[in-house]
Amino acid sequence: MKKFLVYCGLVLLLVPVQTTLLPHVAIWDIKPDLGLVLAALVGVLAGELEGLVVGLAIGWILNLYSAGDLWLNLVTTGGAGLFAGLLARQVAEITPTILSVGLLLLSLAGGLVAVFSMRHSTMSDTWWMVQFVVVPQACFDAVVGAALLWVVQQRLVVPRFGMLDRYS
Amino acid sequence: MWMVNVRSPHGARRLALGMFALLLAVLLLFPGQSQGLLDYLDGPVGQLVRLPLEAVSSLDQGISAMWQQYVSLQHVADENRRLRQEMDWLRGENSQLREAAAATQRLTSLLHFKEQALPAMVAAQVIGRDSSNRYKSVILNIGESDGVQKDMGVITPAGVVGRVVKTTGATAVVLLVTDPNNAIAGLIQRTRDEGIVEGVPQGRARLKYIPMLSAVKEGDRVVTSGLVGGFPRGLAIGTITTIDREEGALFQTAELVPEVDVNRVEEVLVIQSPHGQSAESPARPEVGGKAKL
Repeated sequence: MKKFLVYCGLVLLLVPVQTTLLPHVAIWDIKPDLGLVLAALVGVLAGELEGLVVGLAIGWILNLYSAGDLWLNLVTTGGAGLFAGLLARQVAEITPTILSVGLLLLSLAGGLVAVFSMRHSTMSDTWWMVQFVVVPQACFDAVVGAALLWVVQQRLVVPRFGMLDRYS
Repeated sequence: MWMVNVRSPHGARRLALGMFALLLAVLLLFPGQSQGLLDYLDGPVGQLVRLPLEAVSSLDQGISAMWQQYVSLQHVADENRRLRQEMDWLRGENSQLREAAAATQRLTSLLHFKEQALPAMVAAQVIGRDSSNRYKSVILNIGESDGVQKDMGVITPAGVVGRVVKTTGATAVVLLVTDPNNAIAGLIQRTRDEGIVEGVPQGRARLKYIPMLSAVKEGDRVVTSGLVGGFPRGLAIGTITTIDREEGALFQTAELVPEVDVNRVEEVLVIQSPHGQSAESPARPEVGGKAKL
């Protein structure tokens, strides 16, 4: 129950942070996707099932405040939580560097799916979006995710779900 | 009976993958139904999220205002703000007067014409930006409970901002005129040629489908045509900067700079009815509150 309330609080707080505060720290008009980073972190620390559920909740709530399609937000954010959890099982220890590489790939994959599903007049517009939105955002997400994981590792003791089962 | 043990890593993995596959199947096979199902929950959740959103937004605005007043001189900042509002208002009025003059020229031969009706509008504040980087949109502090609906036009006194694409009970998402997914019926004020104004990813806009025989030139102003969408005729959209005439093409395309700097817009007017009420002279709207105009 406590975990559920923590997740609810995080999701509710995420909306004003993502829509109101982050535009102030945007670099070249690009801000990190905290929803994707958070879903991936939950996936890594608590397992793929929680990552998926939290990712879906984040995707749905953030979609209320975005002009994008619902399915796209659900699939990219939910998928980020799920695949982060699955990928995390393949490594013995999660370090900020490993997480940043994983987040870079997940963000790139989600961004490419989103851009190629959008209606653009010309192919050059699509490539412009990939070059100046998707790639910088993926780098930004990777850096923010690594920083958040480093803070979590420094301040909190979070046992990774399933580690004991795996090695027992 | 088959059960999944979510405590075991394999069980959780199977369940998560199964859920994701099921979700994908439902979203792809029944997009309308799944969207409709979640729409029921949008209202209460929107009201719940409104509290932290408005709290953070007002805190953000308070800090920004304090910062601006300390960095620059307070009186200069106030006067600057007042003059900017005045300039925006005059720019919009100028555009309407140009449109009225053009219309008068065309209608001098007519003895009777209908008095131009003023749109019904409601003022709103911008409380956030799109949660993703892929769309150019802003979030308003009014929603369905204030009478805002999808496809309503959004303007400032200077010109067109965008149109409403999504609403919850307490908020509305406005797709900006610079977004590639937006399309607004436009009209070149001087030549009276019509086209479609679309955003481009680089943050500007372009007017498409201009007839090849049109005498459009750089510096021409583009206004709303009022034929479709939530805008009345004659609201400023932008000024043409470059024209693209390709040999063999059926139409010309022109790039334009939007009249409103959509990255800095803070207060807007939502057009609830483009041809709502009739009046002799337009009343100046009081921006910043939720006053219905």
